[in-house]
Amino acid sequence: MTLAHYARIWLTSARYSIVRTLMFRGDFFVWSLVELFWMTVNLLMVSVIYRHTDTVAGWSQYEMILLVGTSMLIQRFLMGFFWSSIFEMGRNIRSGNFDFFLAQPGNVMFMATTRKLDPDGLINSFVAGGVVIYAAHKLGLHPGFADLLCYAFLVFCGVVIHYSILVLSIAPAFWITSAQGIEGGYFTLSEFSRLPRQAFRGIANVAFVWVLPVVVVSNTPASTLIHGFKLPDVAWVAVIASVWFSAAVFVFQRGIRRYSSASS
Amino acid sequence: MFATLAKYYAAFTVGLQSNLVYRVNFAVRGFFSFFHLVVVFILWSAAYAGNASIGNFSFGQTLTYFVALIVVQFMIGAFNEDYQISEEIRNGLINQFLLKPVNYFGYRFSIYVSARLVTGLLILLPVLVTYPLLKDYLVLPHEWWRFALGLPALFMSALVQFGIAYCFGLLSFWFLDIQGFVVLSMAVESVLGGQIFPLDLMPPWLFHLSQYLPYYYQMYFPVAIFTGRLTDVHAIVAGLGIQACWVVAILGLGQFLWRRGLRLHTAVGG
Repeated sequence: MTLAHYARIWLTSARYSIVRTLMFRGDFFVWSLVELFWMTVNLLMVSVIYRHTDTVAGWSQYEMILLVGTSMLIQRFLMGFFWSSIFEMGRNIRSGNFDFFLAQPGNVMFMATTRKLDPDGLINSFVAGGVVIYAAHKLGLHPGFADLLCYAFLVFCGVVIHYSILVLSIAPAFWITSAQGIEGGYFTLSEFSRLPRQAFRGIANVAFVWVLPVVVVSNTPASTLIHGFKLPDVAWVAVIASVWFSAAVFVFQRGIRRYSSASS
Repeated sequence: MFATLAKYYAAFTVGLQSNLVYRVNFAVRGFFSFFHLVVVFILWSAAYAGNASIGNFSFGQTLTYFVALIVVQFMIGAFNEDYQISEEIRNGLINQFLLKPVNYFGYRFSIYVSARLVTGLLILLPVLVTYPLLKDYLVLPHEWWRFALGLPALFMSALVQFGIAYCFGLLSFWFLDIQGFVVLSMAVESVLGGQIFPLDLMPPWLFHLSQYLPYYYQMYFPVAIFTGRLTDVHAIVAGLGIQACWVVAILGLGQFLWRRGLRLHTAVGG
């Protein structure tokens, strides 16, 4: 299977998703609004907190907005490209409809996690990008081409890490019949990515900065834009992304071995 | 009278049994809620660093507010009642209620009460487990009048919560998919209901305006009474009056939507 073959499969799925979205334009509008509202909620929280204080863990208001914007950007990409497919994967495993993916001409993990595209999430990634640009403008930042390239690479690593965590959150469905609710854990963990790394102390620092990479994912790209490129930080995020992606692939493959079709 | 109550008691016990089946799911949800509390602790402790008080409240008072909020959410929050009602309309399951002497609102409310009884008790487990870690931060007021005013506020909040979910569920008479509306409403409720930040930290004009909206009475109002964020007794009594008006308005709207919706509804099949 070549890369071009997978690109063709993905483009076919994307085309199908876009045609489907155009058929249900009202739904697309409402869900785009939903995502926009939730992003606004996060920004409102920042503005309310900074009404009463000048700095949170050494981050000024616009630095914090840049951090929240980066976190939202990564999450919108995840929502747009993978969320529906991965969320439905849990249901399909429980119902036996997962057989459909086993019979498809390609890597099962790729087929099962990239089948659906959510254009509403992708549309809102422009809004999240706008928030980052607005915050950078307010901070008077003028990043060079290398900084922007580095930021884009770190956001890509962030999407890989979030994807891996989400797959690992859904994978228990292979072992536990009723794994509903566990996927909600992903959203709880993603809340940590909107917090500055310096706010974590003691055991929270070990758990959420070092063991679970949810904080590093958004803090490193935001810091790169604010303070400039640092090779050790970038290398560290790339290593974490590789490790978590490998873990997701490993657990997924073990899960497939455990999977017994529920269909008749 | 007793025969009528017996019908809804039966619905309550069936609801209790079916919710106990999903006790693990609720326990998992409760567990993740405490992760949210960790986020709250980290964020607000960083915000309070160098500030003895924010909005005239100490860090302990703010943390107490968020702990109480989680407990109250599990005690009265309408988690998926709107979705269940929507599914019953879409699948035609409500047809059975049209043929029987059962009030659909009464039936759904009985199920809601049983579900919240289960989740309300389950959330006490993580509270007890984390209490040794939290006890140094929790600041609870000792005025007994807070219970006298807080309990009716809590009861009416449950009616507001359920009433809004009931109205959204009934939208399925008109729309094929209501999930978008529900999640959109959740975003508004989470901000104006005080779930993201205590409403008293908003600009004063916005805080004042929010007191005339139903969201204020969904969660913030009872929690603020119990945790001491609201102190003026006269203002609380006036708030109870506004809350009662919203209860009547929302339940009235629910009844209106039910009657209008049934005119559109088509029952198919034998």
